[in-house]
Amino acid sequence: MTDSLLSRWFCRIYLLMLYAYPREFRLQFGGEMQLLFRDRCRQVSRAPGAWNWLRFAIHSAADWLSTLFAERVAAVRQVSVEDCVRKTYQIVRTVWSVGRRTQPRGFVAEWAMTLIVFLFATTTLVQAYVVPTGSMESTVLIGDHMLVDRVAYSNPGTWGAHLLPYRDVHRGDIVCFHYPEDVRQIYVKRVIGVPGDHIHMVNQQVVRNGMRLREPYTQHIDSAIDPYRDDFPQAPQWNTSPRGREMFARDVRDGELIVPPGKLFVMGDNRENSADSRYWGLVPRDYVVGKPVFVYWSYDAPTDELEGWSLDHLFDVATHFFTKTRWNRTFLVPRAQQAEILP
Amino acid sequence: MGKPSKPEDLLPLTPPVFHILVALSGEERHGYGIMQDVARQTNDALQLGPGTLYGCLKRMLAAGMVEESEERPDPALDDERRRYYRMTALGRRVARAEAQRLADAVDAAKARRLFDRPKAGLTGGA
Repeated sequence: MTDSLLSRWFCRIYLLMLYAYPREFRLQFGGEMQLLFRDRCRQVSRAPGAWNWLRFAIHSAADWLSTLFAERVAAVRQVSVEDCVRKTYQIVRTVWSVGRRTQPRGFVAEWAMTLIVFLFATTTLVQAYVVPTGSMESTVLIGDHMLVDRVAYSNPGTWGAHLLPYRDVHRGDIVCFHYPEDVRQIYVKRVIGVPGDHIHMVNQQVVRNGMRLREPYTQHIDSAIDPYRDDFPQAPQWNTSPRGREMFARDVRDGELIVPPGKLFVMGDNRENSADSRYWGLVPRDYVVGKPVFVYWSYDAPTDELEGWSLDHLFDVATHFFTKTRWNRTFLVPRAQQAEILP
Repeated sequence: MGKPSKPEDLLPLTPPVFHILVALSGEERHGYGIMQDVARQTNDALQLGPGTLYGCLKRMLAAGMVEESEERPDPALDDERRRYYRMTALGRRVARAEAQRLADAVDAAKARRLFDRPKAGLTGGA
């Protein structure tokens, strides 16, 4: 019997969904459930019509969600205290032996699997992001864990522009983007210049298209003038990256930077302590990941501990969760803000 | 999980469990067979999804109401991964007790005039 492409896709998705069930249950019934699902698909495809498929999909999803929950609860109920201790021990062993795969996945690992499935689904729309540097200090702090809306500035493609809440990047927006020097890292900065803008700085003050700006969102920690930093653009210096030098050579004319098409000029709000477009050049529009939506957790920890989840950091969080969490920043929304034009 | 001695301890059954028992009362069936039979029993009102069906079977196996069968009576849809299930003696007693309980409930409803006699024209093949 040949199956239609649609039913094969359904079966493949269902196979993935089975991984969300507890391991015991999956091992006992997974194969049969897959067969049953395939038979159902065939049954539905014998009575074709998009409506039938839709109903079948909704029914299957509801069945999956409700029983998933029930089986998870049942799996937890069966666990006694000594089981918990044993499983915790197993998990620690599992974590230690990651990569060697000598231990079967434990209880928490199962949950992690469920989470991964959900995260996989959600990362296309939103992404969790932790702020690693203080360059946006006063607006976002080191250790702010934020959700990033990946749809807002996404490339709309041919049809997406009409379906998605897409908007272009404006001046004053806070954006997350791939750091051009190392695309694995994600930075957060404020957009100062969009394509066509003429930009230069005088004594820490931005002059955009001939108009001086008052930027209420900035923080100035150093009143001493560093010409390169505060009277941008000057001649490239030792800490200007090759990309930065390229920008100076190509886009700076008559003491002003002219933002070329498809690029953005970004700076941190912590102006005197921010490695930004002044040093490493412009951000290609395609590198923009999204806009921060809100801070879901703000934790006061040094940068290097936030980058990966080390054991030290886990211990630190476990012991200082209540004291080091900046509760007043929870659910804070970093806002786009317009600069005022000074006469 | 200890097996209860009295079938009454397992009552009331959830609708899927009861219909699965009814489906298995005549013959041994595999999962898809159970699903089809339940749909037939209820005029397609109860369509068991795989999660619901096997969640119920898991609990019924644990309670001793059903057991796996060694025989493979359905050659048309055979596949070695398919397992066949059969009702145990306890399962039969539980199903009987549940049917009695439902009948009592219907009688109680009738006594209070909550139950209309099914109209002759509407009964299909019950």
